[in-house]
Amino acid sequence: MSTHTEHQAQQGPEPLDVNDPRLSRFDVVQEGARRDDIEIVHYEPQVAPGSKAERRLTRTVALMFLLTGAFATAFLVVYIWWPWQWEPGAGGDKLYTPLLGVTLGLALLGVGFGILTWGKKLLPKEVSIQDRHDQVDNPEDRKITGETMLYLADEMGVRRRPLLGISLLAGLAPVGAVAAAPLIGGLIEQPHKNNQMFTTGFHPAEGGRKIRLIREDGRPIRPADVSVGGQLTVFPGIDGGVSNLHADSPTLLIHLREDDAQKSRAANERKGHGDYMWGNYVAYSKICTHAGCPASLYEQQTNRLLCPCHQSQFLITDNAKPIFGPANRPLPQLPIEVDEEGFFVAKSDYTETIGPDFWERP
Amino acid sequence: MTSDNDRRRGLLARLRGRPVARSRGRRRLGAAVRLFAALMLAGGAYTVFAPGVQAQDNPPLTAAGNEGKALFDVSCVTCHGRNAQGIEGRGPSLIGVGSASVEFQVGSGRMPMARQEAQAMRKPPVFTDEQVRQLGQYIQELGGGPQVPGGDLREGANLSTGGELFRINCSQCHAFGGGGGALSSGKYAPSLAPASDRQIYAAMLSGPQNMPVFGDNQITPEEKADIIAYIQETLKHDGDPGGFNLGRYGPSTEGLAIFLVGIVALVFASLWIAGKS
Amino acid sequence: MKRRKFDAAALPAKSARAVDDRFQVATPLRKLLNKVFPDHWSFLLGEIALFSFVVLLLTGVFLTFFFEPAMTEVIYNGSYAPLRGTPMSAAYASSLDISFDVRGGLIMRQMHHWSALLFMAAIVVHMLRVFFTGAFRKPRETNWIIGSLLFWVGFLAGFTGYSLPDDGLSGTGLRIASAIILSIPVIGSWVSSSIFGGEFPGTIIISRFFIAHVLLIPGLLVALISVHLGLVFKQKHTQWPGPGRTNSNVVGERMFPRYALKQGGFFMVVFGVIALMGGLFQINPIWLFGPYEAWVVSAASQPDWYVMFLDGSTRLMPGWEISIPIGDGYVIPPLFWPTVVLPGILVGLSTMYPFLEARRLKDYKHHNLLQRPRDVPARTAVGAMAVTFYIVLTLSGANDVIADKFQISLNAMTWAGRIGLLILPPIAYYVTYRLCLGLQQHDREVLAHGVETGIIKRLPDGRFVEVHQPLTSADGHDGHPPALDYVGWVVPKKMNRLGALGPAIRGFFYPIEKPAEAPVSPGHPPVEARPEREEIGSGESRR
Repeated sequence: MSTHTEHQAQQGPEPLDVNDPRLSRFDVVQEGARRDDIEIVHYEPQVAPGSKAERRLTRTVALMFLLTGAFATAFLVVYIWWPWQWEPGAGGDKLYTPLLGVTLGLALLGVGFGILTWGKKLLPKEVSIQDRHDQVDNPEDRKITGETMLYLADEMGVRRRPLLGISLLAGLAPVGAVAAAPLIGGLIEQPHKNNQMFTTGFHPAEGGRKIRLIREDGRPIRPADVSVGGQLTVFPGIDGGVSNLHADSPTLLIHLREDDAQKSRAANERKGHGDYMWGNYVAYSKICTHAGCPASLYEQQTNRLLCPCHQSQFLITDNAKPIFGPANRPLPQLPIEVDEEGFFVAKSDYTETIGPDFWERP
Repeated sequence: MTSDNDRRRGLLARLRGRPVARSRGRRRLGAAVRLFAALMLAGGAYTVFAPGVQAQDNPPLTAAGNEGKALFDVSCVTCHGRNAQGIEGRGPSLIGVGSASVEFQVGSGRMPMARQEAQAMRKPPVFTDEQVRQLGQYIQELGGGPQVPGGDLREGANLSTGGELFRINCSQCHAFGGGGGALSSGKYAPSLAPASDRQIYAAMLSGPQNMPVFGDNQITPEEKADIIAYIQETLKHDGDPGGFNLGRYGPSTEGLAIFLVGIVALVFASLWIAGKS
Repeated sequence: MKRRKFDAAALPAKSARAVDDRFQVATPLRKLLNKVFPDHWSFLLGEIALFSFVVLLLTGVFLTFFFEPAMTEVIYNGSYAPLRGTPMSAAYASSLDISFDVRGGLIMRQMHHWSALLFMAAIVVHMLRVFFTGAFRKPRETNWIIGSLLFWVGFLAGFTGYSLPDDGLSGTGLRIASAIILSIPVIGSWVSSSIFGGEFPGTIIISRFFIAHVLLIPGLLVALISVHLGLVFKQKHTQWPGPGRTNSNVVGERMFPRYALKQGGFFMVVFGVIALMGGLFQINPIWLFGPYEAWVVSAASQPDWYVMFLDGSTRLMPGWEISIPIGDGYVIPPLFWPTVVLPGILVGLSTMYPFLEARRLKDYKHHNLLQRPRDVPARTAVGAMAVTFYIVLTLSGANDVIADKFQISLNAMTWAGRIGLLILPPIAYYVTYRLCLGLQQHDREVLAHGVETGIIKRLPDGRFVEVHQPLTSADGHDGHPPALDYVGWVVPKKMNRLGALGPAIRGFFYPIEKPAEAPVSPGHPPVEARPEREEIGSGESRR
């Protein structure tokens, strides 16, 4: 086992006189290393100066650096002269980014591997050993520092004058709050302003006027506009209804087949939502009750609605009850009817909370 | 009448659809082939010997319709029943599905099905375009239904409207890149890559399998043209400006790539750097 | 006046003297330059993370010149025809402009994204190295904690960056993030509306995320990385056991010139690989996703890979809601457990692990020598368990893509994930534990009996035995070689590995080269160890 100890390392051989003119530069370096507890135990050139191997390696490294130059130039040429504006089709402009990547990448790899080869193959191999000194440096220093800190506390006399400490704490606590107050006070928003978490764009307007269902281009919808076995994403017919301002309002209007509609109607009645459907049409919120993604993968034969984010599956013919996956709450149903002009309207707003769950959802 | 050649092609297509195991699998297959041949023979004989039975029940068919009927009675009748009335538990009635549905299902090789499963798969079509047209004509004449119009289906299309309509109606199942996606319990929305203009149009019209129906009342023919143009030109024809698209599966393949390409390459580099020279 | 001759050769020395006169840097600089680093490929994994962070800063600064962090609605009128005329947020429009109307902007964007993925991947791989070799033990617990924090801060950096373009995919991610915040009991809706400035999505979140992504989080990352590196420097790097290596020394190369040169070269290689990936592999094609609209979604909506494990845990969680029937009733949604509680537990467990292990083993000593994973079966098995857990979650995060492409039922994938999450980690623990013990035993056998040679010998009594090549000369008792002690380092298991442990002459592509004549240059006399170093016991016996 190693006989070496901390103590011996510091004594070591006599320090060299670095001003001795007989010393080579390497001797000085080695002496410097020694003073930092580094012993260079093995230092051996990998290639003899002037040898064939050295010339070969030098050429290789030089070639890599020159390749870097070539590729960097190629990068510039491509960057400046290659057609880069997007055009339809699969033309040359689609090669612009790949060409930039290849030229830049190869240029960087060239200089990288050049430097690596230089360092790895041409520089002398060495094995050095350095002492760690991660034990306690000097127990005396530790003691001195510790005593100094305690002395500081003693002099301030916090022990003897407890009032000072307490009053300082009492004084600083509000200062901390002052630092936090603008941040919290500026950011905080009342979540239930205008009852926004429980209403959607379908909430009847002033005077109880019912809100129309519209398509993404603003057209209102007649029953004949939805194919049997079809689905249509609909929005409240209000200002900004088709925008992220009403991110909780998008709704899926589905025209069920006759037999599916009967099942759905029966299920509605069981839940006390007997009048929510109109004819064979149902409307369910498109916003998943799990994490708020648009649950819109409607399978028209199985009547399942799949959410693509976490694979919750809802059965449309059974009040959109979740039948698989992480969702735990049925999709809310929008009660719909057709107004005198023959367009779909929402009878009222959703009667359940839209979107992902939260603590105070009743 | 179906020629011998056609029948063999149909058989081959069926055989190709299933993994061929040696020995026992092959024997079972043999049995299936024999049963199938017997059924075909029986069906064929029936049509030959009793040609007048349906003619009395239905309005007279056009020439193309008659051709289609002959094809139907050989290849489709097993599951969809006589006069396409459907057979409970095997195949639905085709009355009223229209030629659009036939064009999509048969034209994309999904029908005839190789076996009963969660969803019919796209295969090399069994019938020629002409035969598909004849079958479609027959179904159309039986009960009417949606038809794919002729002519250029992308005429006057607007790509950005098409993109918007695609994202609101199609991308949830077929994905932003049109590569398709999974549905519940083994069903899936297929990739749009092999679909032709007419097939996309037909699929929207007829709502094959679990796809919702997007009739002309819901998405007008002009809007359909926009969507088809967006799929065919932007999603399929336009090259990817950023290099190889990793299958357009989104972050999952990107994550795979960073480990398989980035980390692997750099670990090899570190092995070399730290290796003994 | 006499003009003094300007001596260019003396300039460096002169200016160096001038600097030292004023700042007295010679001594600290000497100490800095004289630093020994051990050499092993696995010590370079952390560097990959560091270098990709540098690339992130470089490309990120470029992107800020063109990105507009605003959610005001504009009509796109740029080069990309299929989106022209579409209303979208300014943030998305400027991201499109970076991709199509800024020359070379697309490759910058793609390099930025790839280096973000690489940054996180390298952090994880580096962390696994540190874990499985026990490099986190005293005195390096602090650095382990900082490293774990770096993962989570990097996670936040990644998520905020992913959200900035305001495209269809990132908006969906943001929607889920808002749902996660909402699910926190009691304060959820308050925190959510405070962050989003009202109801989701509001009009301010992109600018808030922008300042977090370009200033606050990178600032934190720079600070943490600096401390991380500073501590490595101060505490000196760990090393593998081996000839001459003890707990109180570092055997390797001095930082200058060779080690630093290799580091510089490696930085260029990392940068080059990122550039190649940025040019050759398309990442996050936002132009296909369209602007974020609350009603638009795509099949296979996934977050970037380092967030995928949370997506997976969310997908696997059954829909169990806890209702609290007080007043109007309160709920804890099922989303809360896999997205808030699980990461909380993971942060706690991972940061506290060094202390847990030290407590269990009652081991409070300094450790500067690494351990081979097989020598600490319990830790290795725990690690394998954690990795399995993570992989099951990550795969479940992509279970719809897997289901679709490999034609498996989606519901079956979910169930496989649920069951796999419960039973695979314990299996991984058991299997790893047994593997470690088996490997240990094999090491001991080789040390005791030698290397299997593959030569079968028939004994006079008819038995067959395999000839073993002992690792030492047969000078022990009764002709048998003495059994060797295991010292925590590789034991040669094959004949052609014998002697390969020392400084053999091996290249990467040319396995055996003629040994170079070691010519002694006049400037570099052969160095000799100090006398007290010569007796190096621990490794010698195995050669």
